[in-house]
Amino acid sequence: MSTHQTRTVRGRFFSHGTFALLAVMTLGGAFAFTRLLTGLEAVTNLTDAYPWGLWIAIDVACGVALAAGGFTTAALIEIFGNHKYRPLLRPAVLTAWLGYIFVGVGLMFDLGRYWNIWRPMFNWQGNSVLFEVGMCVMTYLFVLTVEMSVSFLDGLRTRVEEESRGAIILRRLERPLTLLRRIVRTVMPLFVVAGVVLSFMHQSSLGALMVIAPTKMCSLWYTPVLPLLFLLSAIMVGFPMVVMESLIASRSLGREPEMDLLSPLAKIIPWFIAAYGIVKILDLVVRGSAVQFIDTPGHMVAFLVEMILCLVVPFVLLLFKPVRESAGWLLFSSLLVIGGVVLNRVNVFLVAYEPPFPGRGYFPSVGEIAVTLGLVATIMFLYRVFIFLFPIMPKHETSGPKPLRSPATYTPLQPKTAWTFRGVAIGLLLLFSVLYAFIHQEAVSGDIRATNWVESVRPVEEEATGLNPAEHAGRPEGYKRVYILSSRLLDDLDNFYEPTRFNHTTHDEWTGGDCAPCHHRFSMGGDDRIGIDLHEFHDEMEIHLGGPCASCHDMDSITIQRCDSCHWLANEEDDPSRLGLKGSYHRQCIGCHEDIPESDAPVDCIGCHHPLTPDHGDLVAVDKGAGVEDVVRECIRCHETSAADILESAHWNWSGHSPEVGGYEDSASLGINTLVNNYMFGTGPNAEYCAACHIGIGPLEGRIENRDPETVDCLICHDTTGTYIKKIGDGGRPVDGVDLAAVAHSVGRPSRDKCGSCHFYSDGSANIKHGDLEPVLADPPDDLDVHMGRYNLLCQDCHTTRQHKIAGMSMSAPVVEGRVLCSRCHSDTPHGIGGEYSRHLDDHLRSISCQVCHIPRIARESPTRTFIDWRQAESYGPVPLTDRGLPDWPEQAGVETWVRDLVPEYRWYDGTRKVKVLGETIDPRKTVYLNQPEGDKRNPGALISAFKTHRAMQPYDTENKTLVIPKLWGGFWQHFNLEVAIREGMEESGMEYSGSYGFAATVQYTGIHHEIVPAKDALGCQDCHIATAVDCRRCHSSIRGHELNGLGHAVYPEVKNRIDFEALGYEDDPARIGGRFFIQPGRGTPPS
Amino acid sequence: MGINRRRFFSLLLPAAALAACSRSEASEDNSGPVQDEQVGCLADTTLCIGCRQCEEGCNRRNELPRPDTLFRDRLVFREQRRPGPNNFTVVNEFPGPPSRDQPKKQATYVKTQCMHCLDPACVSACIVGALTRARDGAVIYNPDICIGCRYCMIACPFQIPSYEYSDALAPKVRKCEFCADPAGGTGADPACAAACPTEAIVFGKRSELLQLARSRIERHRVRYIDRIYGENEVGGTSWLYLYGRDLSDIGLLSLPSSAPPRTTEAIQHTIFKYGAIPFLVYGTLGGIMWHNHRKQQVAAVEDGGES
Repeated sequence: MSTHQTRTVRGRFFSHGTFALLAVMTLGGAFAFTRLLTGLEAVTNLTDAYPWGLWIAIDVACGVALAAGGFTTAALIEIFGNHKYRPLLRPAVLTAWLGYIFVGVGLMFDLGRYWNIWRPMFNWQGNSVLFEVGMCVMTYLFVLTVEMSVSFLDGLRTRVEEESRGAIILRRLERPLTLLRRIVRTVMPLFVVAGVVLSFMHQSSLGALMVIAPTKMCSLWYTPVLPLLFLLSAIMVGFPMVVMESLIASRSLGREPEMDLLSPLAKIIPWFIAAYGIVKILDLVVRGSAVQFIDTPGHMVAFLVEMILCLVVPFVLLLFKPVRESAGWLLFSSLLVIGGVVLNRVNVFLVAYEPPFPGRGYFPSVGEIAVTLGLVATIMFLYRVFIFLFPIMPKHETSGPKPLRSPATYTPLQPKTAWTFRGVAIGLLLLFSVLYAFIHQEAVSGDIRATNWVESVRPVEEEATGLNPAEHAGRPEGYKRVYILSSRLLDDLDNFYEPTRFNHTTHDEWTGGDCAPCHHRFSMGGDDRIGIDLHEFHDEMEIHLGGPCASCHDMDSITIQRCDSCHWLANEEDDPSRLGLKGSYHRQCIGCHEDIPESDAPVDCIGCHHPLTPDHGDLVAVDKGAGVEDVVRECIRCHETSAADILESAHWNWSGHSPEVGGYEDSASLGINTLVNNYMFGTGPNAEYCAACHIGIGPLEGRIENRDPETVDCLICHDTTGTYIKKIGDGGRPVDGVDLAAVAHSVGRPSRDKCGSCHFYSDGSANIKHGDLEPVLADPPDDLDVHMGRYNLLCQDCHTTRQHKIAGMSMSAPVVEGRVLCSRCHSDTPHGIGGEYSRHLDDHLRSISCQVCHIPRIARESPTRTFIDWRQAESYGPVPLTDRGLPDWPEQAGVETWVRDLVPEYRWYDGTRKVKVLGETIDPRKTVYLNQPEGDKRNPGALISAFKTHRAMQPYDTENKTLVIPKLWGGFWQHFNLEVAIREGMEESGMEYSGSYGFAATVQYTGIHHEIVPAKDALGCQDCHIATAVDCRRCHSSIRGHELNGLGHAVYPEVKNRIDFEALGYEDDPARIGGRFFIQPGRGTPPS
Repeated sequence: MGINRRRFFSLLLPAAALAACSRSEASEDNSGPVQDEQVGCLADTTLCIGCRQCEEGCNRRNELPRPDTLFRDRLVFREQRRPGPNNFTVVNEFPGPPSRDQPKKQATYVKTQCMHCLDPACVSACIVGALTRARDGAVIYNPDICIGCRYCMIACPFQIPSYEYSDALAPKVRKCEFCADPAGGTGADPACAAACPTEAIVFGKRSELLQLARSRIERHRVRYIDRIYGENEVGGTSWLYLYGRDLSDIGLLSLPSSAPPRTTEAIQHTIFKYGAIPFLVYGTLGGIMWHNHRKQQVAAVEDGGES
């Protein structure tokens, strides 16, 4: 291309600067290598909010902009014919070429999948601005290489002529190289013009990159004319780059600055600055109101620096001739312009980019800066390498003595051949252009192809499950009153929570018997999934709705609209407005619950659902053969607070606040260990035996008081395998041979069986104590307990648990952590809606607890003990022990009385009671009540309640008049000598004992709350009342033949005098004489 | 329709290449490629209870790594989360006063995921077409040709695509793909919508969802603000939101109704279509060069003649 005299630089290649460059390159290289090995995260500060950082802003955007010297100089010299500037051309092209290589290499580090960088050549996306940039840059790099090749070829030639290194090899290649050189020179003009056009294209497109993010860009920089601004600023920075590079190179190589060329060149620069500045300011003016100057002060400063310091100042400076003619000032002005463009690119790509969710923000990391600096150093280094190797720099008078070859020796190609090559070049360019046009074409039809691709890979939609929604499995038999929201349909879709239980009756009562809030439409047939609105339906019949449905409809015979006759699958595509079953339940429930602010109806998930326990198989890291202590430690690793909660709970402390115990309302000291009972007397000397049920492990001594979280036995409640059983008298450790790893891997919510493993066996053997808690309740038949049988309720469904504090109240253990009330699920008018019969039943609630009628008998499967005579036990002598360690007295011994189907005793009870604590004096002549329920007929808060009584003739200290605690475990049960046992026991528990003992009659009460029978098995009227008193006609004389639907009779006729009304304080059957709150209206006298 | 129209134009116009510069094409594109068969989801923020089952459903369907905390852990609401490489959707809590019609409700929950724009900026931006928009509206990703430039992340007005920065070899752009993954199977019902227990997310045809949303607004005037988020935002999105509080209070972005690709593609296709303008520039510059060359030669010959 050039006929101007250029030559390689001679001299010492390495200088201090060169070594500094090498050092920076090494550092950058190290970081770049790390990025390739470990990914972007390790080296950069890029985030999802800031996907582009320093590498794009500097390496790519600035790299492209600052390489503009190449095309501007080429245009100035080759196109506009200002040949005097020719000495500047080769260095400028070299800078541009290196600049673009720098862009490419920098991009390689930034691209996540750099090995795919060739993809855009084959996967065209003409809509993409980036594609435009990428293709242009790639092509331009090729064009630049062609332009550069002249220098290379000249260099090789010179090498041959000067017989320098490699000349022998090169000489062999002389013919092809000469030919190549001729070709290149021939087609060069075409490439020069192509280079300019391509630069125009991608310099502007680079600006268009950020146009796609209008909402994320600061208004100071964002404008649709960004492409134009980028193009103008690239042109503007071209000559300053040439000037700067020439001046620095001169200084570095110790030459005179080429001021004769640079000064006139600098005269052009202000024109370009003006062009860019005017467009930029015009754009600001036009956008006017949209520009927010003062919103972000940081942005404003960056903008003003860019505008004033780097645009206005160099513009003014370069207008002055002295500035243009002074090397220093010229360099300064050029640097200002270059700095301005760099700042502008950084501003547009980094500063102006304001993602809506910035996260931790972005500032370049050390690695990013190091790699960028390393790349800049590489360019400078390579520049030096090239000017030393190839004839790039203009010939310098002081350099080499050898005369240069005259350009006249250059022989051009034959015109015909030349035109052939030109034609080929033109063809190539045309091909590229046609290709380019085609790519844009392709972009338009791209959508269509993509659509087809997705269409072909997407499977055809299947028929919706094929499940008949009316027959989904899993619905329990008893759905008539309690609808359990569990179905295959729902289970398929989510199994994250346990199904909830919907109490239909209760909700029925809350809506006042109006079914319409939930059953809002009525389907006219099997296929009718739209149905008719209930209100419209009744309006058509001119019936005004407003009361319980049951007041008109016989609810047993009416077809109640099922939810799933209309609501099937979630999100039916055919009908998005119809909710699925799951959504309709939830929306119905949550919607109503939210609308009743005064109620405490749950609106959160766990208000209704218990979350399923996640599979602990992967979570628990316990090896086979781990001890129980290891397992507990593993539990605490995650459930730290749970262990702390346990240590505060009644199940751990066995004592606590006892507001219901008369005289101890404000005490927190009352507990199992301070009370006396008539089963095992007390914990004192028998603690070892009792410890089999304490939820801890390890030595018993001080276990409760020490409160060490690692002694909590999580597994005794949370084992689901049923294999974890505590050994009696071994510090609460499990029996041998339990696979603790398996137990730990399958922990879950406590089952009835697990609670029962202690509570079914309170005081030693099955059902001995409670009467209503027997082992069969682990899986009871429906008629034995309707809650646990038919509805499969777990203990904690009623005994609600928060932070391991379990609601419930025991007659023998005083501590209370919450109450279990029937009214939590059942309303205050639980006997149905409407009707006189239910009103009569509801009236009972003022004086009778639910348990009285609904638990007619206890100890249905296993007998319970009602009496023990320690006098007989003492005299009978040794007997064998059961497997739970208790003496097995034969029936004829007369020691114990065991009863099945026990009828409870009924007493007034207001929720408080009196207790006998250890060491309290007694009156042995009277029956001693160890825990006496308080309340009488005149106390309006008291209800007649059901109890099991356990009577005993138990030893007491005849001198001190206190009940004594014999040592049973390891004492009486071994040697069967009561006297020794008492002495041992009193000694171990540190109590005073005179040495003589007698026997006192004691009674202990146990509340009855379980084994609730289905409604049909509950007591009938005549179970308690005399037949004549509960005849409807007594009061409702006008009603002929009105019967109590067969419910008036006695359900348990074999039990005579179930309730002794006189003992309860009534003069006679209250059905006859009136209840305690009303006087009998006397509307009729019972027939005699 | 839009595609057909565009194709029609593109077939017609080669005859008059210069007409490409006219504005007519660009204005046609403004209608956007909205289709009748568009599917979408309607997310009703007033119904969301923040149970995060959509997150769990998404996690399972896309076989993403299980997070450290359980999905029912509500402590995550302490901070505002964004979708990431391992979670394509997140629910955020926006505490606020209970509204008039929902006195108990203390917070609004808003699910965030790819909105599946009708005119997606990421698809327009992608250099190789690794992101494409299916006919039904799903914006899907093909990792095989992705070069990892992350321009889609710059382009997305909702700041949705996330990147596997920690992967050294084959990092991917990750985002919700509307459960349209060919290997995933169903492709019809997005996992989040299927998992939602209150059906706060409803999947269906976009046109029907718009009707449904309008009817809900109609019926509950107090509950909703009379606007459907996503109906017009950045040219419309497949995901639509109903809401009852100010957009800025619940983390939804206020966006213009014009789609960003309309601007960039108008610029692109106006300038570069059929290479007309580059050709023109090339011709002009070439002409100048030729002219100057001739002048020089003539000058040289004259010089030579004189000397």
